[in-house]
Amino acid sequence: MAVLAKGDNEGGKVVDTMPLPTYHSLAAPVRKPVDKFALLPAFLKVRGLVKEHIDSFNYFIDKGIKKIVEANNRIEARNDPSIYLRYLDVRVGMPSIYENCNVESITPHLCRLTDRTYSAPIEVDIQYTVGKQHVVKRRNKFIIGYMPIMLRSSACILNEMDEDELAKYGECPLDPGGYFVVKGTEKVILIQEQLSKNRIIVDTDSKGRVIASVTSSTHAIKSKTVVLMDKGKIYLQLNQFTKPIPIIVVMKAMGMESDQEAVQMVGRDPRYGDLLFPSIQECASERIYTRQQALQYMDEKVMYPGATNNKEGRSNSILHDVFIAHVPVKDGNLRPKCIYTAVMLRRMLDAILNSDTFDDKDYVGNKRFELSGQLISLLFEDLFKTMNSQAVERMNKNSDKTRSSPLDFSQLIMQDTITFGLERAISTGNWDIKRFRMHRKGVSQVLSRLSYMATLGYMTRITPQFEKTRKTSGPRALQPSQWGMLCPCDTPEGEACGLTKNLALLSHITTDQEEGPLIDLCHSLGVEDLLFLSSEEIHAPGSFLVMLNGLILGKHKDPQRLVIHLRNLRRSNVIGEFVSIFINEKQRCVHIASDGGRVCRPLIIADMGISRIDETHMTKLRDGTYDFDDFLSGGLIEYLDVNEENNALIALYEHMDQDDVERSSITHIEIEPLSILGVVSGLIPYPHHNQSPRNTYQCAMGKQAMGNIAYNQLFRADSLLYLLVYAQRPLLTTKTIELVGYDKLGAGQNATVAVMGYSGYDIEDAIVMNKSSLDRGFGRCIALKKYTVLKDNYVDGVSDRIVKPQRDKDGVLMKQNMRALDDDGIVAPGQIIRNHDIYVNKQTPMNTSKGIGRPLTDSCYKDSPAIYKGVDGETTVVDRVMLCSDTNDKLSIKCIIRHTRRPEVGDKFSSRHGQKGVCGTIIQQEDFPFSERGICPDLIMNPHGFPSRMTIGKMIELLGGKAGVSCGRFHYGSAFGEPSGNADNVADISSTLIKHGFSYNGKDFLYSGILGQPLEAYIFMGPIYYQKLKHMVLDKMHARASGPRVLLTRQPTEGRSRDGGLRLGEMERDCLIAYGASMLIFERLMLSSDPYQVQVCRKCGLLGYYNHKLKTSYCSMCKNGENMAKMRLPYACKLLFQELHAMNVVPRLKLTEV
Amino acid sequence: MDRPVGASYQRFPRVRIRDLKDDYAKFELRDTDASMANALRRVMIAEVPTVAIDLVEIEVNSSVLNDEFIAHRLGLIPLTSAAAMQMRFSRDCDACDGDGSCEYCSVEFHLAARATDSDQTLEVTSNDLRSMDPKVCPVDQARAYQQALGGTDPFGANTSNENRGILIVKLRRGQELRLRAIARKGIGKDHAKWSPAATVTFMYEPDIRINEELMETLTVEERRRLIESSPTKVFKLDSANQVVVDNAEAYTYDDEVIKHAEALGKPGLVEINAKEDSFIFTVETTGAITAYELIMNAITVLRQKLDAVRLQDDDGDLGELGAHLGGP
Repeated sequence: MAVLAKGDNEGGKVVDTMPLPTYHSLAAPVRKPVDKFALLPAFLKVRGLVKEHIDSFNYFIDKGIKKIVEANNRIEARNDPSIYLRYLDVRVGMPSIYENCNVESITPHLCRLTDRTYSAPIEVDIQYTVGKQHVVKRRNKFIIGYMPIMLRSSACILNEMDEDELAKYGECPLDPGGYFVVKGTEKVILIQEQLSKNRIIVDTDSKGRVIASVTSSTHAIKSKTVVLMDKGKIYLQLNQFTKPIPIIVVMKAMGMESDQEAVQMVGRDPRYGDLLFPSIQECASERIYTRQQALQYMDEKVMYPGATNNKEGRSNSILHDVFIAHVPVKDGNLRPKCIYTAVMLRRMLDAILNSDTFDDKDYVGNKRFELSGQLISLLFEDLFKTMNSQAVERMNKNSDKTRSSPLDFSQLIMQDTITFGLERAISTGNWDIKRFRMHRKGVSQVLSRLSYMATLGYMTRITPQFEKTRKTSGPRALQPSQWGMLCPCDTPEGEACGLTKNLALLSHITTDQEEGPLIDLCHSLGVEDLLFLSSEEIHAPGSFLVMLNGLILGKHKDPQRLVIHLRNLRRSNVIGEFVSIFINEKQRCVHIASDGGRVCRPLIIADMGISRIDETHMTKLRDGTYDFDDFLSGGLIEYLDVNEENNALIALYEHMDQDDVERSSITHIEIEPLSILGVVSGLIPYPHHNQSPRNTYQCAMGKQAMGNIAYNQLFRADSLLYLLVYAQRPLLTTKTIELVGYDKLGAGQNATVAVMGYSGYDIEDAIVMNKSSLDRGFGRCIALKKYTVLKDNYVDGVSDRIVKPQRDKDGVLMKQNMRALDDDGIVAPGQIIRNHDIYVNKQTPMNTSKGIGRPLTDSCYKDSPAIYKGVDGETTVVDRVMLCSDTNDKLSIKCIIRHTRRPEVGDKFSSRHGQKGVCGTIIQQEDFPFSERGICPDLIMNPHGFPSRMTIGKMIELLGGKAGVSCGRFHYGSAFGEPSGNADNVADISSTLIKHGFSYNGKDFLYSGILGQPLEAYIFMGPIYYQKLKHMVLDKMHARASGPRVLLTRQPTEGRSRDGGLRLGEMERDCLIAYGASMLIFERLMLSSDPYQVQVCRKCGLLGYYNHKLKTSYCSMCKNGENMAKMRLPYACKLLFQELHAMNVVPRLKLTEV
Repeated sequence: MDRPVGASYQRFPRVRIRDLKDDYAKFELRDTDASMANALRRVMIAEVPTVAIDLVEIEVNSSVLNDEFIAHRLGLIPLTSAAAMQMRFSRDCDACDGDGSCEYCSVEFHLAARATDSDQTLEVTSNDLRSMDPKVCPVDQARAYQQALGGTDPFGANTSNENRGILIVKLRRGQELRLRAIARKGIGKDHAKWSPAATVTFMYEPDIRINEELMETLTVEERRRLIESSPTKVFKLDSANQVVVDNAEAYTYDDEVIKHAEALGKPGLVEINAKEDSFIFTVETTGAITAYELIMNAITVLRQKLDAVRLQDDDGDLGELGAHLGGP
């Protein structure tokens, strides 16, 4: 072992069981800490930011789909099994479409622009019978449907392309991929969080009872088994039984007739016997002694008897198929299930005896993350089976009709089932799979392209399975086990707080790995199969149970050795790198996991606290001769999942002190402490100096910041795009920023900020802006909006038409609002377009229901122009016009209209520290304070923003930025980066400032721009990176005098988009009542809303009507016009009366003279 | 301190020019107070007229930047505006209808650039702007012209022989930019592009007094540390190891030396006060007009404004000042 190696420095060679790098020797000069940062970019280069999505999808394309097809590879006609079709092989081709009998390959960008689905044909090789003679035919590359393809996956054309090639295909090299393009929109299948399957979880239920539950999930069945303790007795709860069954009865039903054996199986400890005693007693009191009796007892409790109402034998089959369904039953041998039940019992009793051993449902190790590959494979399996059964159905129908020649299956397989099924699910996000009883909504979401950060944030997002309305705090709390796996900062505020999470920078989610080799390996390493052991021996002292993916593999007498061996095998690449080996001392278990959906992260392996990576490795990495995978295969780095982390002692940095007592127990070293944060929180400088909620707020706001979105942003056709005109790279960066490319696609500008009060328009976080800065381009943004017009086709070749602008004989436009139109009737790019201007001069035929036969004349068309609705007084410009035919062969015209905006009062800005504020006022430069160097701030922020927010990071950013501009070097502020040099120290920054003639504390001596006199305080001034957020006054401001009304109630419409009124709500009304302003209420609630004159019959109290011919009012109830009175009331009130009438309720108005 | 009624408060400010280059000036303004100095500063920034591109008519633009983007960039290019004082504001011009073809109020520019076959990107700079009036052109063109004429560089030696101009946009092969632009007179108050000032700032002249007696009590090492405590080089040790003022104006009113003296337990070791009536101005221009012109024009504008105030006494009407006070 490495321990021995320390002593023998002369020998040089280390005798070791594991393939250790042999140069660890004390004879070496004192090692310097290795700069391991370079591993981070290496990791991201190999694995990428969204590797888990792509890996998962690749797994499905390469393996999953084959397994599914293989499992259902034969279909045959029901009445003649010799007519069949066999699937021999399946693969997913290159993305293409089939159009006009042509196969055309497609690119993702083309799909985005033309509203197509980026999908590839699923090709199968089939063997089927033809004709009456059942001639066997073989056909290769038969297409059964189209599969939407994840961008940058192995089936995508962008796979392994370099920057130049990507540019050729109109793709941004910084775009992470990992999403789908369905009908032109980019859709992400979010990572779904679940409780892990096939694992025993001991917990208490709502009544405080101890329960041990297992959610079994196999290909065939999903079931939940619960063992619970109620009033000292233990029961089994299954959906299939009406009542809980005493557990001893279940044991007996499985063939364990001897109580002694049952107790032995749980454990010899007398305390177990004591706890089991009431259960045994209960069983005995029911007079159940044999297996037969037990089964009979259980049969009576079966919930859903078969069709014949025959309960007999049902419970036996339930025990075989439903009860802990993932434990395989071979040849009817239920003993593995007995043992499993006993282990469940033991875990439960342990928990009762020692409450430490309860499992935590929120513990990340008990969670599994479902990725797009798994979700799509479920969907595909369902659709594939549906397609096959439909084919069989059609075959039966055909053969019934006694055709001359029976069809063959290849003609009966319809592509549409799979193609449309997949497309519909991904584009709506509804995963409704009846076969697996799965009804999930919102699985896929539209990828937000508001900013680059928003896009990345979406790709790392994890959504929970349970509903968000639950007020429980447990699942929302920050779990210590999240460390390094899930970002502690990046979570939304409000109802989804703590439930929606994000992956950390270095975390990875595993995919399934083969169990078979692992089982063989374990057995050859000395794992004893329990079937060959007596019940007594199972829990023999000193030996540990070995569990593989929740299944009991056997027991091992020397678990530590097994674990060491397995880990060494993993480090030497014999078994997969994502296999986790975890020894649980409390449960006396070795857990081996190779299942998919576990989060794990890479760590540097350390021997006795000494990192295996030294300078030679890092040099090789820098030279490019080594990459991250070499570190993995070289046994220098390994992936640990959350469970295995419990067996490790992970140090942040190598402990250099030789005499450090703690050092010897360190097993791993973190790659970089900043990797506990995610991508989005990684752009905050000095986050470790901020109050934690501020970082969370910034994570939400970073996604709303405008900036550059992608290199292809100007060629995209998003329905709404905000771009910053002069986006900058932050002066104070972090390592994460450089890793993810935020420095290339920034979303903000470095503003010189003075922290002081000014003008009074800066209260409540408002900021004061310098007009000259705005003139020079600060905060200027471009809003691109897409307007689509469809040229519809009707029957008989009749279609809409687009006509050129009508002019009179002098060539003057007939209508002024056609000025932006080109001669083809569509707006010309580059034209200024104003409110109410026409952008597509479309006409529709009057009669679209039936064809006329003869060509339509001009008079057959009516105008239906597309009119631009903009803001009056703003100049907007037509940026681009794109014509394409959509999937239904209709011409779609997409006009992209551009609006360049400069900041105005009310626009929202934010720094990177959760400090948002609106622009309070804009002030001339000459009124702004200035320093004697001539520096004048771009914006002024009120110092009251600091004390309660405690965003020290922002202050350090200011200092660092100021030092950065003066010395010409970008400063860093990575999380927890000071010890490793990834963040600059304040002391160093201060000395830089002093060197350049500034005060060490960042404060400057300023003069008032209005008076010319020195300000009485030194002002904290320097550059801070400011983000312009998408909330702009222009999009929100709204007022109306009179305007449209709702048809039904005749009240003013609601909302800005409908030019709605401003509501005087209940609370406002209460104020007016309290004040006694009755006439104002009358005016607001009636006159300005929906006044209406009605005729009321004073006698019956019902509403009458006014007969305009006779000029009298009339009551249709009393059948006369006497006693009628006029009155005014809100139309909504009259409507209410009439609706009540319709429900047989008679409201009567009793009128009195005032 | 009551003065007798009717006494004149008039002072006679003095100006001493320390340094005057074409786009840089440093001068002292003495015997006046902050209001005067600040008024001068404000006028220099916001109210000295220059000429800048204000209207852009784009004929062809196939570059990556959109029309407004380019128009904005064009506007910010400083144009030589020596004649701006004599020009008319476009809004006051009777001779034209503001379409640019007016010699009194506007100057027309043309720009045509097209990246042809070569694979290199073509940089369209201010040098590509063709002015219709030789008096008004982008500043670096004027500089190049003067260099060609005189052979000497009036802007100091730091300009390299290569005059690249101000970048407007980069064109890739096949892209083209063709436009007509009209420059007009304006002031910095309306838009920063008309501001001739890059930096206009002043500082109070510091009055530094060293208490020699107390200083004698310090060791040389302590003195050296005292000197170093100032982030800027204000003091130095002379040959006799005495602390003397090296450069009083380097002092940034940071109080560091005073704090250091207090920390030494010797308050009053150094006393620094601002002289209330003397200012050191630093003026840098964008190149649109020379620093000298900037100062002189600012004084002219200031005088006009004061005249307007004087006129106010006569008829109670603000006159032209109204325009200045009330913005545009």
